[in-house]
Amino acid sequence: MSDATLNASAMRRGSFASVLPKLAATLLMLVLAAVWLGPLLLIVMTSIKSNAEFLAGPFALPRSPTIQPYIDVWFGLGFGTLLRNSLIYATAGSALAVMLALVPAFALSRMNVPGRKWIFGLLLTGLMLPQQTVLIPLYDTLRTFHLLDTKIGLIIVHGVYGMPLQALILRGFMTTIPPEIEKAAYVEGATDFQVFWKVILPLSVPGILVGYTLNFIAIWKEFVFGLVFLNSEENFPVTVGMLKLNSDRYLAVFNLPAAGLVISQLPIVILFILTYRQISGGNLSGAVKG
Amino acid sequence: MASSASRFDDGTFVGFARRHVFVTMFGVAVPLLVFACFIGYPIVYTIYLSFFEWNGMAPQKKFVGLANYAYLLHDKYFYIALVNNAKWLIVSLVFPVSLGFLIAYVMKARLVFAPSLLRTIVFFPVTMSLIAVGLMFLLILNPVFGAFDTLLRSVGLGFLVHEWFGDYRIALYTLAVISGWAFTGMPMIFYFAGLGDVPKETFDAARIEGAGHWRMIRSVALPQLRPVTAIIVMLTLFESLRAFDLIAVLTKGAPFGMTNVLGYLVYMESFWNSRFGYGAALSVVILVIAGSLAAVLLGKVLKGAFDV
Repeated sequence: MSDATLNASAMRRGSFASVLPKLAATLLMLVLAAVWLGPLLLIVMTSIKSNAEFLAGPFALPRSPTIQPYIDVWFGLGFGTLLRNSLIYATAGSALAVMLALVPAFALSRMNVPGRKWIFGLLLTGLMLPQQTVLIPLYDTLRTFHLLDTKIGLIIVHGVYGMPLQALILRGFMTTIPPEIEKAAYVEGATDFQVFWKVILPLSVPGILVGYTLNFIAIWKEFVFGLVFLNSEENFPVTVGMLKLNSDRYLAVFNLPAAGLVISQLPIVILFILTYRQISGGNLSGAVKG
Repeated sequence: MASSASRFDDGTFVGFARRHVFVTMFGVAVPLLVFACFIGYPIVYTIYLSFFEWNGMAPQKKFVGLANYAYLLHDKYFYIALVNNAKWLIVSLVFPVSLGFLIAYVMKARLVFAPSLLRTIVFFPVTMSLIAVGLMFLLILNPVFGAFDTLLRSVGLGFLVHEWFGDYRIALYTLAVISGWAFTGMPMIFYFAGLGDVPKETFDAARIEGAGHWRMIRSVALPQLRPVTAIIVMLTLFESLRAFDLIAVLTKGAPFGMTNVLGYLVYMESFWNSRFGYGAALSVVILVIAGSLAAVLLGKVLKGAFDV
């Protein structure tokens, strides 16, 4: 690790020169922490204020915290349904993406598939495609299969569009499994399927979990597909249902929209706390490195 | 990367397919089929549709040749959106990407206390939906009750107070900066991981030469991180071409289309103005921009980054 080395470079040049960058960096970081944490804290604070307290100004501390805004916005927007829908889309969509990606990742990491450069090219295309450019035909396709405005239709779309990233993440992970393990299995006469199912798959579980979690978050955040392919409120995910918060009805007093924001993000906060180490560990960059 | 299974391979796809039926079926055929249906066909159909006039309802589409593209060349809103995309990209490259690098560097160099706490704080918004982020800043930047303007006034910077979403001169930058706020964690973790991969000896050598932090960044860290930078630039590029959510929840392109970007213009023309043919032509332009930029990046900067 280069941590200490980087710092030591300044250390040897007298005490002032070594303190100055550290001081500047710390000041900068304090400002940054305020910029990134401040808005979140202000929103949480606003969400537990009563209407009267809200008028006292955005920085006034809540004197008598109330959960009334949460109750009001929960029933006003129907957060029960919205959260349930988002949960369904994220759970099933990521599962589909991982299932579609597992064998391709196996093929790309363990085998010499002829034309794999092309397969890779396709994966990257799917990864980078701006979704807006294919909304119209996808809308058409879904209508043809009577999947428009259905949960299953949106799950399929999420699964397919999540698959390329899953394939890259899983391939990156599977590449790290030493080939000796499966060599032994092949010598014993195992088939490709047996090697995949009994050797590679069990060893890939950590990679699968990381990929699944990232995809879950991505679908929870997703907005365009839900907006275009759904019409009925009983199918809306949180992101689409929340649009209503930007209306005069909810913006009269900010505690309601603030509470709505907190509710919409809560499941991801829990997931974030549980999996932070895995999802922020540079696994994404691992996916694109050889 | 030759695996044990490859001892059967004679190099042709047919040979491979006969030896590895399972892998060919579920590793190649099924994904290709799914791709063809949901990604390949839509792209082709978009190109096809761009030569037609269609309101999305009529059973007959009217062939108009290149009329949609001709219209596009004279469409004021197209140019506004195109320029806005460029502005958005520049803001994204300057603010979240360089800041992400800076944070990663000072954390790696142990220049700050509690680096992991800072990393968590900056990374968290990456997990937030942009709808939630947008609504949050709608509240914070509100001209009457918003925290930001209140803060500006209380420290004597009241002259900086603006209609952040209403003033046509700055609304787009407001959106781009908000998107940057939510995105900074991404380049940060990429650079953080990348700095961890730089061999210790490289930094040691520079230290012996007496390099300070500035030189360390310029002459050692940045050159070593070129592949990471290339990937981040690519990610940022496609993020900015996709920009949609913030505009949908905050401005809908207003005032006067001044905050419109291509990704939102497509949606508006197709699904609001029912001009699906024109929307398709705009989509093709986005695809061409995305494709050519990707080709340039993949061909030059990224050589080796996606080696298989």
